[in-house]
Amino acid sequence: MEAAIAKRPVVYMVLDPARRVLEVRSRSLVLDRVALEGIEVVTEQPLFSGWPPTLPELPATWTIAQGPGDTDREIIAPAELRPYVSPDQEEEAVPEPTPTAVPTGPAATPTPVPEPPSAYRARLDNGWDLLITDTLPADTLIPRFLAAVHDGWQRLRGLGESKPPAVALAMAKENCQRIHHLMRTGTEILVLPTP
Amino acid sequence: MFTDILPPELEEEVARPPRRWGAVLFVLFLLAIILAGGGLLVLARFGRIPTASPFIARTARDGDPDAETLRRRAVQATAALERVRPNGAYIVVDSYRNRLRLYRDGDLVRNAVCSTGTGIVLKDPRNGRQWVFDTPLGERTVERKVKNPVWAKPDWAFVEEGMIPPKDPNERFDGDSLGNYALYIGDGYIIHGTLFKTLLGRRVTHGCIRLGDEDLEFVYRHAPIGSRVFLY
Repeated sequence: MEAAIAKRPVVYMVLDPARRVLEVRSRSLVLDRVALEGIEVVTEQPLFSGWPPTLPELPATWTIAQGPGDTDREIIAPAELRPYVSPDQEEEAVPEPTPTAVPTGPAATPTPVPEPPSAYRARLDNGWDLLITDTLPADTLIPRFLAAVHDGWQRLRGLGESKPPAVALAMAKENCQRIHHLMRTGTEILVLPTP
Repeated sequence: MFTDILPPELEEEVARPPRRWGAVLFVLFLLAIILAGGGLLVLARFGRIPTASPFIARTARDGDPDAETLRRRAVQATAALERVRPNGAYIVVDSYRNRLRLYRDGDLVRNAVCSTGTGIVLKDPRNGRQWVFDTPLGERTVERKVKNPVWAKPDWAFVEEGMIPPKDPNERFDGDSLGNYALYIGDGYIIHGTLFKTLLGRRVTHGCIRLGDEDLEFVYRHAPIGSRVFLY
């Protein structure tokens, strides 16, 4: 499976549930490695009932159908454009009293880049989601009960949102942010079989 | 003392013990608790909460091949992967941590701080045309190398500054911004120098990879044309 992906000049990921590792690769070269704190299947279920989800077969190649790397972007646009003025003309118009030094620092303040989120979902082509998170859902009764009440209230108001089942990869916050931009449409994730 | 002057029918009323308001309030309180609790239970029953369960996947059966078949397949796969792996000099760019690493035959020979794309989208207010300032992902190759490069500023460079791009192509040339060397990796993406050294290590570019002077010269001298560049 990997040989087929590695023939192409793309970045892909390899998820190894047994070693709890997510690797970023290209041409079979390991570019980066992220340690996982947990791998779980997350489904939305009523509080006091539930059913075990049927997982896809492994090994498999999952492809991201829509990812936050495509959608979580800031858009900037000047309000209007003024006619081009060459630097020479500008100098003629506004004579500099002293010669300017070669810039060595941030002459113009760069647009601040937003920090990537620490929890996000990517939709996979098999109908599942890949949930990247630094915190797995709570498994104690009171937080679960409060979450159920909150969600019930939202649904009563027509604001509830159903999400498909997800394979959740728990990792450190910095790692969640580090791989955020790789979660783009078309990125392939090779999932190795569990022993 | 007043009972002496009360008529007999009222005497009985006064002698009756006071009403148990405390008990009534307690019962009301209990009722409120039960109603609120019931309401919460109903809401909780409506709700769907994320529930985690162990990741236990089914292993796809491939006709249960014998050990010899499995061994042969493994050897073939290893050979196929070995064929596509890079040899000689290659560059790896980590666009989150803003690091450029130069390897030769798998050994790290230079680890440099760089600047990569912001990921921001710029929109032209005249026609809605968009540019995404991403450093591309995947594998590219060094297509050509240039000393003292001149940058032909594309339209976005003017739009970003709030200006209409000039019609005269000569107005687009900039001999200062790219530094002393440039390694072109296709589609207008370049590994080049920068005037703004203090911004190295940050995501500030329009997709190109900026390096400091010494690192740029090292990479220019040690990464020949055809070197593979892995960007992630």
